[in-house]
Amino acid sequence: MSFDIPSDTPLGLIRRAPENFVSRSDIAFINRASDTDRRGFFKKAFAAAVATSAASAVASTPRWAHAAQGDPVILNLPEHSKGLGQPVATMPYGMPSQYEKNLQRRESPGLTRVGGSSVSFCPLQGLFGIITPSGLHFERHHQGWWDIDPTQHRLMINGLVKKQMVFTLDELMRMESVSRVHFIECGANSGMEWANVAVPTVQYTHGMLSCSEFTGVPLIKVLEYCGVDLKKGRFILAEGADGSSMTRTIPMELVESGEVLLAYGQNGEMLRPENGYPLRLVVPGVQGVSWVKYLRRIEVGGKPYGTKDEAIHYVDLMPDGTHRQYTSIQECKSVITTPSGGQQLLSPGFYNITGLAWSGRGKITAVDVSTDGGKSWKTAKLQGPVHDKSLTRFNLPWVWEGKGEALLQSRAVDSTGYVQPSYRTLREKRDDKSIYHNNAIQSWRVDAAGEVHNVHVG
Amino acid sequence: MKNRIKFVGLLSHAVVAVSLCSLLWYTGAAVAFDGLGRVATSDEVKAWDIDVRPDFVGLPKGSGSVAKGMEVWDAQCASCHGVFGESNEIFTPIVGGTTAEDIKKGRVQSLKDGSAPQRTTLMKVPTLSTLWDYINRAMPWTAPKSLSTEEVYAVTAYILNMGGVVGDDFVLSDQNMAQTQAKLPNRNGMQTKHGMWLPSGKPDVKELRCMSNCKPDARVISFLPDYARNAHGNLQDQNRLVGPVRGVPTLSPAYNKSALNNEVNGRVQEK
Repeated sequence: MSFDIPSDTPLGLIRRAPENFVSRSDIAFINRASDTDRRGFFKKAFAAAVATSAASAVASTPRWAHAAQGDPVILNLPEHSKGLGQPVATMPYGMPSQYEKNLQRRESPGLTRVGGSSVSFCPLQGLFGIITPSGLHFERHHQGWWDIDPTQHRLMINGLVKKQMVFTLDELMRMESVSRVHFIECGANSGMEWANVAVPTVQYTHGMLSCSEFTGVPLIKVLEYCGVDLKKGRFILAEGADGSSMTRTIPMELVESGEVLLAYGQNGEMLRPENGYPLRLVVPGVQGVSWVKYLRRIEVGGKPYGTKDEAIHYVDLMPDGTHRQYTSIQECKSVITTPSGGQQLLSPGFYNITGLAWSGRGKITAVDVSTDGGKSWKTAKLQGPVHDKSLTRFNLPWVWEGKGEALLQSRAVDSTGYVQPSYRTLREKRDDKSIYHNNAIQSWRVDAAGEVHNVHVG
Repeated sequence: MKNRIKFVGLLSHAVVAVSLCSLLWYTGAAVAFDGLGRVATSDEVKAWDIDVRPDFVGLPKGSGSVAKGMEVWDAQCASCHGVFGESNEIFTPIVGGTTAEDIKKGRVQSLKDGSAPQRTTLMKVPTLSTLWDYINRAMPWTAPKSLSTEEVYAVTAYILNMGGVVGDDFVLSDQNMAQTQAKLPNRNGMQTKHGMWLPSGKPDVKELRCMSNCKPDARVISFLPDYARNAHGNLQDQNRLVGPVRGVPTLSPAYNKSALNNEVNGRVQEK
């Protein structure tokens, strides 16, 4: 086969499928062909691409195609430049582009056996900034999810209060509200990775993590309105209205801080059904199981409640065979989201190493990044805004040489001075049998070919 | 007369004091919510306040036998949890991994030596109230809150019976819950000596923030085996079509490195 393109032609643009599958001689054909032939060619090329992508790794990797005359997508005006687009409100509730369908919530195969008591992971590998699109927010349901009629939902406050009261959504939404950005992380996030590498990508290692702007009323104000006895009432029980009627104990100190919210809003709209519509508790810094969804009742009491998810699950097994009970705070943690496991770098040269850091004890003050498995570290740039108990985005410029291997790690520091631990440090204290509260430093190995792998580094 | 004036004075002071209190109350958080909400009726509180604490506050009076529990179990629980509570098909097992010695000591040995293949409910649960409360509020799986008080006592008793904690003739009741709780195999297995209950708690590890010459050697000690390459589906389809990276096509084996080097260098030599 001969080409009519000199081999020293400068690199052109990265071209997407089906163009990825177009060889230089094919490009020459396309450029000579009429429009009708061209369309026919692309149809065939696309069919071939679909067929070959399953069979051949190389066929589906990005290629550089360059024609003497220039890039066909510039030279041949596309339909959208020459036709009429769609009218307003074609989709009254907008959806992402059809080309974004790869970024979806996904279950981890084999992790659970019934969808009503399972988890779907957030595709962190493709997200920007700190806010999780509500439709991609991770899900954890204990007995399935519901779309509850908000006019039929009630919140009851009982226990150690002067007046046991009932509120409608109308009434809760009339109260003075606040909007705050907070992360929510499942206590079992990264739980599969305690002892060894178990899953391939950041979606599965860290995807029980999301961050939203929540709107609601500080719980303490409603409790004060009911005449709460803060002397005896040192704990609350939060209870959901779903089948499992999820319950968790929350210490009153957290409520008194004003941070715990009765939330109905999420990212400017109401909570999504999968996230507790129409009312959930927001407990900043604390693991997701305490953020009770479909919240129907708050009881004020003098002792912890020892609920199922405080006595059987969400307990951390220690080396001496005891379990830590009521472990709640999500300690300081970070992860690089690009480049991350299961991704392929396109070519040697510049990359922005980017990721997320968060702490249940305060603000992120620094994130260090290593490209040599922790031998040396550089401090990354924090991309604002930096909120309290919120995801914080970090960036560090990096040039991939295209040879050898790199071991990428990130290490976060929070406003208490706590430094995110390595696996070694964490295992020395807790061993590796716990399912919960794994906040160890994550490592990604970039191999000589630019493929990124999930690894543990010793 | 003088005394009387003094008395009235005291009274008015008292009235002022009371009004001040209410004034303070209403100028606080309360004023914003004035007129919102209503007092719950006792029937409403009774309908929803179903939680049972480890000190058995909230436990309704009643009882249920192991024999009755077996009937309920076979009809409503066994399909998910197995005939002996041992099933791992749908949920983690409820029964198994505990010994008579554990029941004596209140500590489950297999949690320490790792000898049990799975951590079952009875290996972990320290409080009987927890079982009662959860069965009552959330079971059976597809029809939560449908069991009678007697059935909840009975199923709880039957689980304990399957775990060897109580005998076949046992009847669990509000009268013997505390004594029975004192027989749970892992009743002494919990601790709260950790700093993860409150934000102000003290962390259990302290990592140094080393910046250079931190470790002589960085070795990969764990990675995914080749056979797991496609265990989470084709990762190519789980990444965006544009951007600095692509998803790896995991339906195929890992790249041949030399071919890939050609590829990523952007000068594929076609023949």
